[in-house]
Amino acid sequence: MAEKILFIVFAALAVIGALGVITRSNVVHGLLLLVFTFLNVAGIFLLTQAYFLAVIQVLVYAGAILVLFAFVVMFLNLREFQQLEQLHPKQKWAVLVLAPLMLAEFIFVVTGVTYASVGGGLSPEVIAERGGNVQVMGETLFGEMLLPFEIASLILLVGMVGAILLAHKEGGTENQLRAWGTGDGQPTSAFVEQEV
Amino acid sequence: MHIPIEWYLVLSALLFIIGATGVLVRRNLFIVLFSVELMMNAVNLNLVGFSRLHENLIGQNFVLFTMTVAAAEAAVGLAILTALFRNRKTLMVDTFDLMKG
Repeated sequence: MAEKILFIVFAALAVIGALGVITRSNVVHGLLLLVFTFLNVAGIFLLTQAYFLAVIQVLVYAGAILVLFAFVVMFLNLREFQQLEQLHPKQKWAVLVLAPLMLAEFIFVVTGVTYASVGGGLSPEVIAERGGNVQVMGETLFGEMLLPFEIASLILLVGMVGAILLAHKEGGTENQLRAWGTGDGQPTSAFVEQEV
Repeated sequence: MHIPIEWYLVLSALLFIIGATGVLVRRNLFIVLFSVELMMNAVNLNLVGFSRLHENLIGQNFVLFTMTVAAAEAAVGLAILTALFRNRKTLMVDTFDLMKG
């Protein structure tokens, strides 16, 4: 019973946070609300006995990925965008109709199906016997999921190379500091040269 | 007591729709990226819920891979964002219409 109450509390807070993310005009507020949402999702992972994922959600997702976002938000000067129109003028009316419709469809489908458990697998008791969530998950990860694990490392490598390549400034102004969004830096990419 | 799987699915649907709404409605590229992260988290919730229902840890392993892809996506997305901002001095997505999309 206590589990269900906690689930409802975490779920409500997560949804409120998510609604905040898409309604705030200040990007920093949106980012902090996103962290709040992710912490609540981590709480739900805890209730589901996915302990390792709950820790990873806090450490890697809220702690690392969103801090990366926070760094970029701090690099760029975003204050001037708050005064601009935040919503697409026409699309917002279409979404206002379509989003509740799609939600109703999701909920209709989701509640209309009965889910039978396979059962007899790694129930929490079996997992506790075999050495806990992290132990059993590690055995699966380095057993049958070994190939996806290696491919994931390749994805991270490609992401790293791609990020460096994309964020690198072309045209070599070696001794000059980068002008991040103050408006006085000359755009140097091939893109602007095409327009001229 | 087990939490019914339907609860996970409904919460996940809610978060996913909120994320999709954010992607479609907001003009600020940052908020669009945040909304993508929200949608990924909704999927993670589904995977964990079904992993618990079927008493199988492969679902939880897949969440790890989703997080890997999310990290790579955040890195590349933010690099594209900084490059765009440097060249165009704006982040409003509807101003990027060079390809007449």
